[in-house]
Amino acid sequence: MPKEMTVISPDRRDEDYWRDLWRERELFYFLAWRDLLVRYKQTIIGVAWTVLRPLASILVYTFVFGILAQLPSEGVPYTLVVLTGLLPWQLFSLVLIVSSDSLLSNSHLVQKVYFPRLVIPLSSVVVCVVDHLISFLLVFGLMLWFGVWPKPQFLLLPFVTLLAVACALGVGLIAAALNTRYRDLRQLIPILLQVGVFICPVAYLTSLVSPKWQMIYALNPMVGIIDAFRWCILGRTDIIYPPSILVSIVFAVVSVVIGIKVFRKMEDSFPDMM
Amino acid sequence: MEYALRVENLGKLYAINRGGSPSAGSVREQLARGVDRLLGRKREAEIAYPITEAEADAAAARQKEFWALKDVSFDVPAGERIGIIGANGAGKSTLLKILSRVTSPTEGRVEIRGKVASLLEVGTGFHPELTGRENIFLNGAILGMPRTEIRRKFDQIVDFSGVEKFIDTPVKHYSSGMYVRLAFSVSAWLDPDILILDEVLAVGDQGFQKKCEERMRELTKDGRTVLFVSHSMATVNQMCQKALYLENGRVVSYGPVVDMTRDYNRDVIEQIETAQAEKFGSEWRWHRACFDLPDNRIEVLSEHPGAVECLGGEAASPSGEVTELIPIDRPTHFTVRYRVTRDLERPLIPTFNFYDEVGTIIFVALPETTMPGAAGDYAVTCELPAFLLNTGRFTVNANLSDFRDDRTTYFGVVSAFRIEIDEPSDDVDMRRHGFRAPLPGSFRPRLRIAPAERPGSQVVPKAGLRASRA
Repeated sequence: MPKEMTVISPDRRDEDYWRDLWRERELFYFLAWRDLLVRYKQTIIGVAWTVLRPLASILVYTFVFGILAQLPSEGVPYTLVVLTGLLPWQLFSLVLIVSSDSLLSNSHLVQKVYFPRLVIPLSSVVVCVVDHLISFLLVFGLMLWFGVWPKPQFLLLPFVTLLAVACALGVGLIAAALNTRYRDLRQLIPILLQVGVFICPVAYLTSLVSPKWQMIYALNPMVGIIDAFRWCILGRTDIIYPPSILVSIVFAVVSVVIGIKVFRKMEDSFPDMM
Repeated sequence: MEYALRVENLGKLYAINRGGSPSAGSVREQLARGVDRLLGRKREAEIAYPITEAEADAAAARQKEFWALKDVSFDVPAGERIGIIGANGAGKSTLLKILSRVTSPTEGRVEIRGKVASLLEVGTGFHPELTGRENIFLNGAILGMPRTEIRRKFDQIVDFSGVEKFIDTPVKHYSSGMYVRLAFSVSAWLDPDILILDEVLAVGDQGFQKKCEERMRELTKDGRTVLFVSHSMATVNQMCQKALYLENGRVVSYGPVVDMTRDYNRDVIEQIETAQAEKFGSEWRWHRACFDLPDNRIEVLSEHPGAVECLGGEAASPSGEVTELIPIDRPTHFTVRYRVTRDLERPLIPTFNFYDEVGTIIFVALPETTMPGAAGDYAVTCELPAFLLNTGRFTVNANLSDFRDDRTTYFGVVSAFRIEIDEPSDDVDMRRHGFRAPLPGSFRPRLRIAPAERPGSQVVPKAGLRASRA
């Protein structure tokens, strides 16, 4: 049997890279499995945290924005307004945090074994998506509670999830790569996310923004994602700004493409930087 | 011959960054640089826009570059075991990192034929919260073992590690010994064509180390190519056929392991002692056939300073010719002169310790009779017969003691003599029978090997032996 030949030289070829990435799909699976296992080891209520965490935020936001500030909700129970804003937002921010931190938290692997480094941020996303899926228990529970029945567009939710993951992952890849060089980003991202909760329509409806500003407001890709999510669950077009979804789709594609490009370009220097 | 690995002009350039993590620049500095570029300002020096003096220094340091590896070329035929040796910072780890593709070279090219497994450490990717079982699968996947293969070898791995009882306990509760044993066990069952090892053998207690070595030997059998980095010349000698000797990122030489490890040892000694000699403004030579004390290059140990004073000595042929290069067929006389400054109670015993080149003691020569303890000048000679030591370099320590409490040393001259046994021409030792390569070992005694007295006789049974003695 002829043995396979590997060539190591300063310039690695792209096709080899994608071939290697495909080969390491098992590693991808194991790293994701590890993250999932570790997440709920040594916790008493385990997975229940995944539901409790957003539930706590939903209650707080509903109280502050719905009851104290009495923001308009166009007839939608305010709890549902917050629920449909918070879940996609949490998915986005978790993917961003986890993927941008993934290289540093796996630095021992990067320095000791070779594999396409994209495996690391990609596998780190799995745990976020699983979390997101589990928190759907909350969606079903609250829909039942408020007597909201699923519409056909409910089936489009996986697409919205994909959109949120793509937007976050593209940015996360760039951040992960830069993080190996400038640790400052580690501090910066949580701050941006803190501000983001209020900039994005997490705890209020997009329709709250005056129509003349909505176009500019919709340049924020999270607006489209949250609006799409709301539409899938609540089925109301009057409380969202549909063109924003287009912005999100464009942003998702562009950010993933640029993210991968930047990541690939810096990838060779990772072991030397960390 | 088919090669498994071909390395051509390999080089790796690093930018040194003193202090902090390697080359992790601060955003502030980068921003300053960016602003400069935007405004079209030209920087006068290579130094990035200095904000404080300290940062300017750091930036200057960051510009410094050095070649961790340069112009490294060598071929490894399939199935050969190669040791990579050299001092710290010689580039061994960088080379392994490039070969295992962790880091990419700056220049040059490597061709590898076959599947590579590299063990730059044991237990890569072990997670403390996961159980032993979970970690075996995780670590296996990281090392490139397919799941089916891990499942197939799982029992062997667990059995080898000896931690069966705790296999479902998180490894954070393991003792450090159990941890490395489990970690090594996963690696031990890899099945690559080319195995890259970085001193991972020394784990666990002695029993486990033995097991590891055996497994390593098993692994290195059947045509597997092995690259092995180690600081232990003994292990390299034992495991490898050839060695690559690196120094400051360059190949010093590449050849038979015995020669390479010997060269390396010599260079290490030379480096240490040259520095020592330079301090005293003298030139350094390894060989030493005669010495006169006091000499600040020679270390003299004494538990009773002043009682006996060693004056000097020489290594000479029986005819009195002082020589450091001794033909293997000629005896040598090591003479040491000393002065007893006051009468001592007990007689004195001169001893000569012989060391091989790497500093392992090979024997101690004790005298037939003692020397008197009365004050006066004395000389004592130790006769080394022809054909006792093999060719090579040897070091002799000269000591004088009275053996009270098994020790009491009046003087111990460290490396008093440094001689080299030489085999001048082919016909000196007829016993070579045409064999030309160096013979291994420290000794070359001429033992009688002859046809058995009773041709064809079998092993004498024990009972018969006893009977014949009686």
